[in-house]
Amino acid sequence: MSVVSNILPYAVAVWLFGAGLYGIATSRNLIHLVGCLGVCQSATYVLLLGLGYRWGSIAPIFYDHPPGTPAVDPVMQALVLTDIVVGATLTALLLVLTIQVYKRSGSLDPEKLRPMRARQGSDRAEGSDRGHDGKRTVL
Amino acid sequence: MTPRIRVALLALAGVVLLPGAAAVITGLPPFGATIAQYGERINAITPEARHVANMVSAINFDLRGLDTLGEEFMLLAAITGTVVLLRGRRGEGNTERALRRPGRAVIPRSEAVVLVCRIAGPLTALFGLYVVVHATVTPGGGFQGGVILASGTLIIYLGEGYAGWRDAVRSHWLDGLEGGGALLFTLCGLAPMLTGAAFMQNILPLGTFRDLMSGGLMLVENLGVALAVAGGFTQLFLEFMEETREADELDEPGEESA
Amino acid sequence: MSAILPLLFLLTALSGTAVVLVRDPTRQVFVIAVNGLVLTILFDALQAPDVALSELAVGSAAVPLLYLVALMAVRNQLPGKES
Repeated sequence: MSVVSNILPYAVAVWLFGAGLYGIATSRNLIHLVGCLGVCQSATYVLLLGLGYRWGSIAPIFYDHPPGTPAVDPVMQALVLTDIVVGATLTALLLVLTIQVYKRSGSLDPEKLRPMRARQGSDRAEGSDRGHDGKRTVL
Repeated sequence: MTPRIRVALLALAGVVLLPGAAAVITGLPPFGATIAQYGERINAITPEARHVANMVSAINFDLRGLDTLGEEFMLLAAITGTVVLLRGRRGEGNTERALRRPGRAVIPRSEAVVLVCRIAGPLTALFGLYVVVHATVTPGGGFQGGVILASGTLIIYLGEGYAGWRDAVRSHWLDGLEGGGALLFTLCGLAPMLTGAAFMQNILPLGTFRDLMSGGLMLVENLGVALAVAGGFTQLFLEFMEETREADELDEPGEESA
Repeated sequence: MSAILPLLFLLTALSGTAVVLVRDPTRQVFVIAVNGLVLTILFDALQAPDVALSELAVGSAAVPLLYLVALMAVRNQLPGKES
């Protein structure tokens, strides 16, 4: 039993990553795909924090405990902390890309998407803008 | 590539990579046995050297501040990409009209929701400020507090509706917050160089241990991160919400794909 | 040695698998929020309160909202073409 508890966090991380990859490979909806990518991200968080843990240690905040009490690894926590916030922003960017894909091709199914081909006119000539003042943002 | 081929390739990759994963898992130190030497050293010397109690904030804003600068700009780049992608098609104006789906009744906001949001909104903003300010003494900091502040502005949307929210939350302020936060963080890196110190070296007085105003330059960087994260997330919400508004004129039906 | 940590790890594996297995995006949003909550509890048990705060704010407030609004935008964009 102690062998299992020695490797359990790492095994869970590998399992989550594999499950996320399976979800990405077999997804029929692009928004579901972005959710599975989030599962892959959480696998890395579990792995990093599992590496930084030590039995019987406190959190690395020395406000109530005197400095010198055994604490867990703060470097891993710093990595995961910024990772979570930036990962959420990247999820937003991916969702925007799926919205754009839906606007252009009308479908969210990865099976039904085809590679883009060069068209005759430019896209910007045909798109419309909703601005009250009629200005366009030029990309 | 048909789904079957894709799943077969995934299974093949799994079969090839699993022995490697198993070797790595058994090669790692057992869970909970030790932590890395770098972490031990930081826990041992940072309370004395920087007078802060929160080791994670010290790493984020002082010991590994350069990494946080990179993360900050990653945040800014992703949000800029979102804004460009969404506004590039839609233009920069904003509409007041909410979206109406045919066949669905529009339910007016209940007064209980409005009341609870008016009570909860300022409380959430206050809690977010508390988390931001106590970066160096308790768990907290710019990243966490910034997200809490951004979700506080959402409570305004829940309580007042879209028009009220757009009145309270202006896009230009959010641009200023976001960019200003990143600029503040960069200046915290460059300003010490003007006095002859290294990049982002902690030149401000460090304060006393366990005090609110401890850590020196960390507090300024913390503020920069909080502004950037709060402004950035609210900007994201705003752009996404704008995306669901009714267009003044209908968009062209999507160009046919190839 | 406590029994809470292995249980929490197994619960994390379960909720992560649930996120993948729920195929309908509108239902998956709630499972994503629950996954964020389970991760928060796990991070707290691993003595990482900063990370738990961050994951709670992001995983239960920010990210499900982004998904919901993306779903709204997709549903209302071209009403004639449903995928």
